[in-house]
Amino acid sequence: MDELNALREMRAQAPEADADRLGPARERLMAAARTAPAGTATGRRRSGRPARPRSGGLGRIVPAGAVGLAAALALVAVQVAPTGPPGGGDGAPATPAVTARYAETAVVLERAALVAESRPAAAAPRPHQWQYRRYVTVQPNGDGEVQEHEEWLRYDGRQNAGYGLDGAFRVQDVPPDPGDDDLSPEKYAERLRRLPTDPDELLAHVTGDRHWIDLPKEDPGGAEPPDARAFRVLSVYLGQRAVMPPELEAAIYRALARIPGVAVELGVRDAAGRAGLGVFHRPAGEERERRYLILEPDTFRYLGSRTVWLRDEVIGGEVAFPAGSAYVTAELASTIVDRPGQRS
Amino acid sequence: MIARTDRAGAAEDAGDAGDAEVIRRSLEEPDAFALLFDRYAPEIHRYAVRRLGDSLADDVVADTFLAAFRRRDRYDLTRPDARPWLYGIAGNLIGRHRRVEIRSYRALARTGVDEVAESYADRVDAQVSASAVQKDLAGALAGLSAGDREVLLLVAWADLTYGEVAEAVGIPVGTVRSRLNRARRKTRAALGGADPTATEEERHG
Repeated sequence: MDELNALREMRAQAPEADADRLGPARERLMAAARTAPAGTATGRRRSGRPARPRSGGLGRIVPAGAVGLAAALALVAVQVAPTGPPGGGDGAPATPAVTARYAETAVVLERAALVAESRPAAAAPRPHQWQYRRYVTVQPNGDGEVQEHEEWLRYDGRQNAGYGLDGAFRVQDVPPDPGDDDLSPEKYAERLRRLPTDPDELLAHVTGDRHWIDLPKEDPGGAEPPDARAFRVLSVYLGQRAVMPPELEAAIYRALARIPGVAVELGVRDAAGRAGLGVFHRPAGEERERRYLILEPDTFRYLGSRTVWLRDEVIGGEVAFPAGSAYVTAELASTIVDRPGQRS
Repeated sequence: MIARTDRAGAAEDAGDAGDAEVIRRSLEEPDAFALLFDRYAPEIHRYAVRRLGDSLADDVVADTFLAAFRRRDRYDLTRPDARPWLYGIAGNLIGRHRRVEIRSYRALARTGVDEVAESYADRVDAQVSASAVQKDLAGALAGLSAGDREVLLLVAWADLTYGEVAEAVGIPVGTVRSRLNRARRKTRAALGGADPTATEEERHG
């Protein structure tokens, strides 16, 4: 008998669990489902997490109907309302309403760095304080509805809180998940404090950061070009507004300016309709989707993001996201509070 | 296999919606995720029992599905079958109890008494005292690296294909193949050196 077959017989009498036995585990899952925010996934800061180049990142979108805006491989019409005329469902170009305008990348990002450096550093939160976040999202092929989300995450990441679909406010434990590469606010803050504030060192560091290369496990083996990875990892960090040291924020802008293919488009709107500077990375190869980090033009604070499909994305034989679809977010509040439920 | 029959049954009840479709739906209707639980919790529970014993399996299953639910917005919807993804999450959680797992293999190898089999013996009529082959197998399992053991047991106890193991563990298929070859070679050596290249060193490795 070969060793694999011998192994298959070892403990083979172990029974499958029946419904009674699984009842409590199922109930824990259903309790989490009942308290999940409507419309999008539960996630801790999921929209702070930029889409991965190929397959990843789609799941955080809620697909519904189909509204396309812009052309395949054309610049995106940034001022068309999400309910604008459908187009591009078969990949055919729609007419962009506005021609995109670009800023001088190095100038804008250096100015952003100077402004960031002048910000006062925030006090370090205590482990039992909470990170409060309010944000809105617009799904890529829904009806353009702006969905608002509120969440409280304890600084140590052990609990979260929010209003469920039933309108009730709940605080719940966050289960252990060693396979999750997302971090608690506290761990993000630690990580940000350790990052080099010299732009060249920072860029070298994020380009080779194993934490964000090996994971997520949902996306194994995807070879990501170093420039794209650097842009993605810096974007993740820039989303951590509540725990961002000013000198690091400055270094992030200067490092972004050093990545080949990074450009700044003017007048890119977030999900709250605010126009800002759209920092994006154009890869050397095929560009399938473009993700803008939107910065406020005067303060250079991170406003939100806009991800635009440049080609039809086909899932299971169907066009899930036609070219021109956009997933848009806007940060409305991100702050540290003492208790869940507090907003300031 | 029992597991596969159950899955087919659950899929029929759900009108054949694939796992990816269920996850997609659950983004708007979180309750829909229960369908994945009903499809896969029984077999994942069994897998956890086989590795850690009866008492830890309930928590592993509950935490697996909570973690999966919380991460469902990052699920790659181009993958119709969520089973490898769930086994990957379960494997990480099982890995937190590595010492418990290793201790049971070592005890089985030394005494021939399988604590894990004892833990579910009152649920089924299980053979608690092990054969010589099982003692040797347990000794080999205790000696494998965590990564090699994970791959070997996903193949032997969870019936995953190489491609599915790659997806579950987040490594390339080539790495799955090499880890499995190494694990099988060591296990074969422990069973009495059917492999002419087996060495004493491997036997104790």
